[in-house]
Amino acid sequence: MIAVGDGVTARGNEDRDDSRGRIASLAEAAREGHQDAIGELVTELTPVLWQVARAAGLSAPDAEDVVQTAWLSLMSHLDAIRTPASLTSWLVTTTRREAWRVRAAGRRQQPADGEWLQSIPDPGVGAEENVVLKDEHRRLRAAFRTLPQRCQELLRIVAFVPRPDYGAVAASLGMPRGSIGPTRSRCLARLRSALLNGEGGQP
Amino acid sequence: MIAMGGQHGGAGESDASDVSLLAFVRETFEAADPMPEDLPERIRFAIALRELEAEVARVAPDSESELATRGDRESWTVTFDSESLTIMIRVDENPDGTARVDGWIAPPRAHPVEIRRSDNSMTVTADKLGRFVFGSVPRGMARLVVHPPAVASADGGHDASAAGEVAGGTAGRVAGGKDAPLAGGKAVITPTLTL
Repeated sequence: MIAVGDGVTARGNEDRDDSRGRIASLAEAAREGHQDAIGELVTELTPVLWQVARAAGLSAPDAEDVVQTAWLSLMSHLDAIRTPASLTSWLVTTTRREAWRVRAAGRRQQPADGEWLQSIPDPGVGAEENVVLKDEHRRLRAAFRTLPQRCQELLRIVAFVPRPDYGAVAASLGMPRGSIGPTRSRCLARLRSALLNGEGGQP
Repeated sequence: MIAMGGQHGGAGESDASDVSLLAFVRETFEAADPMPEDLPERIRFAIALRELEAEVARVAPDSESELATRGDRESWTVTFDSESLTIMIRVDENPDGTARVDGWIAPPRAHPVEIRRSDNSMTVTADKLGRFVFGSVPRGMARLVVHPPAVASADGGHDASAAGEVAGGTAGRVAGGKDAPLAGGKAVITPTLTL
């Protein structure tokens, strides 16, 4: 966990743009029917879809089902998807829609609105070994919970997609294309100030 | 931690600090709510199998405890039931660390049997007593697919090895030509096993 985290922190814009270029060529190959490319797309994009499903308040088993459903329906719609950005967007939209459907149906759980905030679980004891890092993560989670729900969902999702795909994500979140950058900045500013003020109630 | 700094508060946040805070958000969620590690693998499986018209076998009730407690034992058995077939397998560990899979199908027929993974598959054909063997299989997640046996044409031209070449994607569909193996029913697929 720690190693992954460090890697991510070190990751800059350039790496993420590379990742986008990679997704573009994989998407192209997938449309031509290359199974390997589809497999790699699954590796690249499943982590963000997991966050989308969890941010919608689903339990872990429901989130797994929903993400798998989104991928399977993508396979029937590959021909209709023309650009890499629309591939990401299509998957995010489908996952989100399906997540809300499952949540509304309340098949396995239906958190009331107030409980939504608990969809950021605290990791179990011993899950994180680095004490300093663990404390920083705890502070961030506490600050994060003070944000409006809209900000929480937006930040949680954009944190996992390459920046040039923001437009695609905006569409799937039902936001105007141009507004995602400013909204992201505003939400991050609120998060930063919550962190500085020690909000979340921990000494 | 870069993201925790945030010294220059206010409206004029640099983009770089937004990027690093966002990276920290990502890192925190990866730590707090990690995606199940095997989820991408299971999705690849589901994609690879989506065109297979198959009946899904269940772990027989008697076998559930065996599976649950197998731990690191070198040898274990499990039985699957489906409407049309019962499949029993025994998994042993080879000295080189690979797995050996011995299986029995009832009622016994010369079914092509496939071990399918997300990125490859291997196929053998059961003998007339319904027995099949995979001598050396890499460890990891796999599903067993039992294809319908090929029906021999009038001149007996179809042997078991030809049946072994039935492609997963077409199994279970009636093929047209007189030489094509006629589908004797649907394929039967087991849940994912960790060999």
